[in-house]
Amino acid sequence: MQATDSPPLPSAPPLPRAQRLSPSVHRRHTRAGLLFVSPWVIGFLCFFAYPFFATIYYSFTDFNGVGAAKFIGFTNYVNLFHDPLFRTSLFNTFYYTACELPLSTIAALGLALLLNMKVKGRAIYRTIFYIPSIVPLVASCMIFVWIFNPVSGIVNDLLTSAHLPAPNWFFSIAWSKPSFILLGLWGLGQPMVIYLAGLQGVPREMYEVAALDGAGPWRRLRYITIPMISPVILFNVVLQLVLCISYFTQAQVIENSDIGGPGTSTWFYVQYLYEQAFQFLKLGYSSAMAFFLFVVSGIIMVLLFRSSSRWVYYANEPR
Amino acid sequence: MDNKGGPGTADKACSAWSRLRGRALSRHRRVGKAAVAIATAAIVGTTGLGSAGAASTPTVNLTWWTMWSGATLQLLNQMVTQFNKTHPGIHVTETNIPSDATTSTAKLLSAIAAGDPPDIFTEWWPEIGSFAANGDLVAMGPYLTGQYAGFTKWEYPVAVQGGTYKGNLYAVPMSLNSWALYYNKGMLKKYGIKSPPKTLAQLDADQAKMWVTSNGRLQQMGFYPDVNGNGFQFYTSFFNATNCFNKAGKYDFEHCPGAQREMNWIASYAKYPYSQVMALQTAVGQVAGGQTDIWTRGLAGFVLSGPWEGAQNVPTSNPGMLGNFGVEAFPGTVPVPSTLGQGNFNIIPKGSAHPQQAFEFIAWLAGYHNEAFVGSIDPKGGWVPAGPSVTKAPAYQAWLKANPWLSGFLPQMTSPYTQAPALTPTQSQLFAAENTATNNVLQKIWTPQRALQYIDQQGNA
Repeated sequence: MQATDSPPLPSAPPLPRAQRLSPSVHRRHTRAGLLFVSPWVIGFLCFFAYPFFATIYYSFTDFNGVGAAKFIGFTNYVNLFHDPLFRTSLFNTFYYTACELPLSTIAALGLALLLNMKVKGRAIYRTIFYIPSIVPLVASCMIFVWIFNPVSGIVNDLLTSAHLPAPNWFFSIAWSKPSFILLGLWGLGQPMVIYLAGLQGVPREMYEVAALDGAGPWRRLRYITIPMISPVILFNVVLQLVLCISYFTQAQVIENSDIGGPGTSTWFYVQYLYEQAFQFLKLGYSSAMAFFLFVVSGIIMVLLFRSSSRWVYYANEPR
Repeated sequence: MDNKGGPGTADKACSAWSRLRGRALSRHRRVGKAAVAIATAAIVGTTGLGSAGAASTPTVNLTWWTMWSGATLQLLNQMVTQFNKTHPGIHVTETNIPSDATTSTAKLLSAIAAGDPPDIFTEWWPEIGSFAANGDLVAMGPYLTGQYAGFTKWEYPVAVQGGTYKGNLYAVPMSLNSWALYYNKGMLKKYGIKSPPKTLAQLDADQAKMWVTSNGRLQQMGFYPDVNGNGFQFYTSFFNATNCFNKAGKYDFEHCPGAQREMNWIASYAKYPYSQVMALQTAVGQVAGGQTDIWTRGLAGFVLSGPWEGAQNVPTSNPGMLGNFGVEAFPGTVPVPSTLGQGNFNIIPKGSAHPQQAFEFIAWLAGYHNEAFVGSIDPKGGWVPAGPSVTKAPAYQAWLKANPWLSGFLPQMTSPYTQAPALTPTQSQLFAAENTATNNVLQKIWTPQRALQYIDQQGNA
């Protein structure tokens, strides 16, 4: 709330006696309220709270999913740091996140800025750029593998005809991660629409005043647009960060029989966790992996939110 | 309503009361009738006046989870129909679950944990060791009595080996795999190769002539170890490296001469472009065990595969190859033909409601006392049966006669060099590690020694 020097409001007069709720009515209202929120509370307890605490518990056990879990202390956590594939998967995931997050943010924002301009057929362009994000993920992956196939894909046909080098994309260690990053950029429709909504909320008067003061397009972007939509940027960054850290479906679909391949270049963290849990039945170890990821993600989120006070502008908040 | 207290109100009230009373009376009558029926049934049951057969032999319902779809699922349905027809006291219902090992394992474990597992589950062998070690399976030993006393002797030795953990039988295959070298006759002729290779050196030399690249893109290849997901594991029997353990019972591929020879041989193929081979494989559709691969499309000279390649894949995906291929024993470093003994095993999960009948069904599926029927089904799937007597069935013999290229697959099942990987709790990890090691060696990321060390690390984890 914004601080003001205005005198405090007079306190509201007490309710007449007749309007006060009797204890029984109050209890009835409370019961009704609890009844209404109970589906959410039950869902939260069953599907979030219990799995969360169960994961912490199982991370200290040797457990295969059936039978009793055997308490083994910190062994799973110690083993994690001696597991080369754990380190590889962590590196791959953060490499992907470090590249994908800024690129997708810049690209989505850039597209939103373009689509916010008053040009003929704007609605059609918006639709075209949004369509990829409604294509099912598995279908997108299959299409990407097909068009980026170095032997038969259209992308390399075009590159070769333009006398440009034709990489082996998903099939090469050097290009596999960049290929996944490109695939990530394909589905930018969602953040783009959110940015677009944010851009339309920026008051036009601010641009007019800035233009009168001689500010060019870059300065208007730098000093008006970006600060004004910075809460939207934060929202999108948080969302994308979560998606990047938990990257799974695309890698699983594309790699298929060659999980993590070529080599271990695309061995992502959640894939490794999934393999440990459901293929090797090491539910204790995978719980430790899950809790470790939760802690790391939590630290990143805390840092992100702490830094947001320096770059996110809320109009109703004191600076 | 605006006629409260009006003339029609009493009539309506009476009529409503009559309806309610009528319902109550009719309910009383129904309850009475039911009581009479129950009493009659009880009298009939106790006095033996009813049909004795219907009351004394209730049908046992078995659930069977399998992981196939398409043509194979149709064959399984035929088998289930035949079993239900010939076993009036048992009814099997087949349920198809996703074939992905991770998904099927998760589903089975969830079902066991929930106390509602299927009675029979078909599993590809890498998971069985960990299931058995964790106590998730019913041991079949107690059922090997009476007419089943000779069951394990009836099976191929390798089938028993592949289903046994710590001396207990936990799994029985409904079909076995047998691997051999397929070659494309037309390509051999084109490159002046007079006969298929008999030695590993010959295979390496012959296939080297067949690689074709155009415009930087692979168009055709000779042979490549990792095609169709055939990693290190699939070649172990040709190098006597299937079960490499040290004296402490730990995996020790690093110091196993056969494993060293095999990994060095795989490494010799690192000179070929891994990325391009995998891209070509994906381009022709060999994804998730699809029926089209580089070889069936006529783009490779050689491939390691089983009878299903010629029996199912070629006719389905490229009938033009029929009559244009041959099969030879894979030329490894062991002196006689051999193969990796593995297959599709049936297991009885812990908590199965009817383990005795489940075992009866499993033995029937394998072909035990059912040779003629299974002998007619196996050729349609391109399968090697679990026991040699099935191959004597007229339908199976007719299939062998009509397809002379199959002749090599059966003798190698009884070769002393044919081995099934020993069931261990970490076999699934070992198998995944062997694939990773193969990929990394073929891409020159790891030396053969590093790869073998990695396999040992994962297998002993």
